[in-house]
Amino acid sequence: MFRAFPTLLRIGFAEAVAYRAELVIWVLTATAPLISMFIWDRVAEEGPLGGWGQGEMARYFLLTLIVRHLTSAWVVWELNENIRTGGLSPMLLRPMHPLVFFVAQNLSAMPLRAVILAPLIVGVLWWRPELVWTPEPWTLLLGLVSAVFAWAIAFAAQVIFGSLAFFSQQSLGLFNVYFGLWSLGSGYLFPLELAPDWLRQLLLWLPFRATLATPVELLAGLVAWEDALGLVAAQVVWAVVFVGLAAMTWNLGVRRHEAVGA
Amino acid sequence: MSLGVSIAALMRASLLTTMRYRASFFGEVAMAVAWAFWTTVPLFVVFDQAPTLAGWTTEEALAVVGFFIIAQGVLEALVDPNLRAVVEHVRQGTFDFVLLKPIDAQLYVSLHRTEPLKLVHCVVGAGVVAYAAKAVDAGPVELLSATLLMFAGLTLLHSLWTVVVSSAFFFVKVDNLSWLIRAGLDAGRWPVSLYRGFVRFVLTFVLPIGLVTTYPALALRGELKPSTGLGAMVIAVLFAGVARIAWTQSLRRYSSASS
Amino acid sequence: MIQVTALNKVYTVPKRGEGLWGSIRSLFSREVEEVRAVADLSFSIQAGERVGFLGPNGAGKTTTLKMLAGLLVPSSGERVVAGFDPSKRDPAFLRRITLVMGQKQQLLWDLPPIETFALNRALFGLDEAEARRTQDELIELLELGPLLNRPVRNLSLGERMKCELAAALLHRPDVLFLDEPTIGLDVRAQGTVRRFIAEWNERSGATVLLTSHYMADIAALCPRVIVIAGGALRYDGPLKDLAERYGGGRKVVVRTRDEAPETLGPFTREDGALVARLPSAEVAAAVDFALRQVAVADLSIEEPPLEDVLSKLFAERS
Repeated sequence: MFRAFPTLLRIGFAEAVAYRAELVIWVLTATAPLISMFIWDRVAEEGPLGGWGQGEMARYFLLTLIVRHLTSAWVVWELNENIRTGGLSPMLLRPMHPLVFFVAQNLSAMPLRAVILAPLIVGVLWWRPELVWTPEPWTLLLGLVSAVFAWAIAFAAQVIFGSLAFFSQQSLGLFNVYFGLWSLGSGYLFPLELAPDWLRQLLLWLPFRATLATPVELLAGLVAWEDALGLVAAQVVWAVVFVGLAAMTWNLGVRRHEAVGA
Repeated sequence: MSLGVSIAALMRASLLTTMRYRASFFGEVAMAVAWAFWTTVPLFVVFDQAPTLAGWTTEEALAVVGFFIIAQGVLEALVDPNLRAVVEHVRQGTFDFVLLKPIDAQLYVSLHRTEPLKLVHCVVGAGVVAYAAKAVDAGPVELLSATLLMFAGLTLLHSLWTVVVSSAFFFVKVDNLSWLIRAGLDAGRWPVSLYRGFVRFVLTFVLPIGLVTTYPALALRGELKPSTGLGAMVIAVLFAGVARIAWTQSLRRYSSASS
Repeated sequence: MIQVTALNKVYTVPKRGEGLWGSIRSLFSREVEEVRAVADLSFSIQAGERVGFLGPNGAGKTTTLKMLAGLLVPSSGERVVAGFDPSKRDPAFLRRITLVMGQKQQLLWDLPPIETFALNRALFGLDEAEARRTQDELIELLELGPLLNRPVRNLSLGERMKCELAAALLHRPDVLFLDEPTIGLDVRAQGTVRRFIAEWNERSGATVLLTSHYMADIAALCPRVIVIAGGALRYDGPLKDLAERYGGGRKVVVRTRDEAPETLGPFTREDGALVARLPSAEVAAAVDFALRQVAVADLSIEEPPLEDVLSKLFAERS
């Protein structure tokens, strides 16, 4: 079934090109890290924050923007829409797993996303040239590996909430709750470094950090070697848990779908 | 008179429709409180690091967040569901039926798929504003001018919405545009004076989100010059006019290009 | 009631390339193609007439209807409907027309039809007592009683169409544009809709312009038809003359007691019977001739099926 994958990628890319205007909008909507960057830049002016200067702070949010975009998933909307409108039924009849199709669709839009994002990044770097830095090879490599895991966790999480549409009309509402928690716990709105102590303790046991903060902090060179391996190991664990949960909800949902015949 | 009847009928149909799906009033209240909490957390994290920022104390900035929550409530109740409905109409070709009703189409699409329950967010936001107002000792004059400015800001928000809806006639797949408004508004959860240079200019004059959240909060502090307040209202009216033109232009295009 | 003069509609549509390269190329260049949907169309319809508007798919029927309803602006040409220029979509104009589209619906999907009726009464600013009377009349004629309080999404296609008609007629419009009102309906529901349209036309004296792919609709409802193909007018006149002119005449079949001759006057032998296709004026003489020449066992005169007539007409010149 993976023989069809290159074709899927090609079609996915053509689709992304056809919907380029919408893709531009999508990229523009997820620019919250830029806002955070402006605000925290301002806060950092008053003095260094927990060992971070203005430069680290700005770089952190720039990387947040990049990582967020290159690890983003939208399968929850696709699943919700297709389950609700019955578009999933023909997909289930194809000799290819629908989730493989969605993975291909997701991955094939990435190049165009990167192209759309590039001017924004260049603009920021032009404005703040001191943000350019050379990461060490090991942090770069580990950071990229970590980004792949971050994407896998995010995608699996969306499959879980998307599959809930088999059971409930409120699945998107539930996903919004997840997203709200995620935005506070993943380092998306503020660096976890600066969160109150109780929150940081709590977040050690939650999956949010693994989907964003871990690769960002690695790429920014803010993590020491020995901590880095622990963070990536945590990602692997979360990836296994989430993919397992995703497979479970998906299978239960499809079984229900077949029974009810929606 | 007959306009009032039309509006009442549209609201009634909206309410009946939402009640079909989610009659859970208490669920909505719980969600609204939770969202208010999530919205204020970043504020507390920031002000934990710096007690005042660009002349704003925690409580004063909290007023901005309060107006932000109100604006988001309006977005959720009025703007977003209606936008999605218009996009659906255009895509399925049923927008023609809207045009065949002897009532202003802009008014019709602004109201026809409202989610009144979401206005609970506005109530929660008003609660946050009230708390902040008490903390900064706002008097009746301040309260009144803040309210007026808030409505000017909401007018502006609606105008932005109209412009986005107008673009629904040009793009293929614009559901995402509602997220664009949301992302734009998101910048408004912080006092606009925290931004600098170009960004601040954009947020004040081009995409005047500052007008929706920061100006009412300034008025609440009694620090908004009357001339600025008046200027803000003029801008709101101006935007409404621009939005109206965008709407009529795109309708014209719709009826010369669609098939 | 409807006056159309030299109506034209030209669309430009973007061309999009195929494959990967094509989709990249369409990022940068926009080739456009001009499509002429309606070409120099003229006709006029009197108040109270029922006119069938025929043509193959893509002939420009819907485009024309939309131009008449004020939803589309023509590229050139004039049209006056109920004394108005439709483009302005004057509320007074909108109160006098209605458009029903078989493929699209205006009913509020999640609510019972009665709510759409209530909404339309308010939006059209109808006098409450009078609108109620019209509503009751429509409910009775279309037998909507049991459907009124069920959500639209739980109704069958036929039930939905009946409710669509009622919702569209509450304001008692003078002009009805019906675009494929019976599409997808079963034979019984088609009959109900057909009978209702005829009945409503009689009762209200409204003008009806109707498109349909079901010839039974046209035959039952429309004494007059307008045929277009490729956007241009092909025929405008009585339905019965259409068959006459384009049907190749009536088919006269004579079965003889003995073996039929190879040819006989206008007849030739097909499948052992004598067959002739003749204009109606010559049918009587031919039958008379056959009766005198051979021993006739059976005789039949068939109208050409309307579908055949139309496909001949559509094929011609296009």
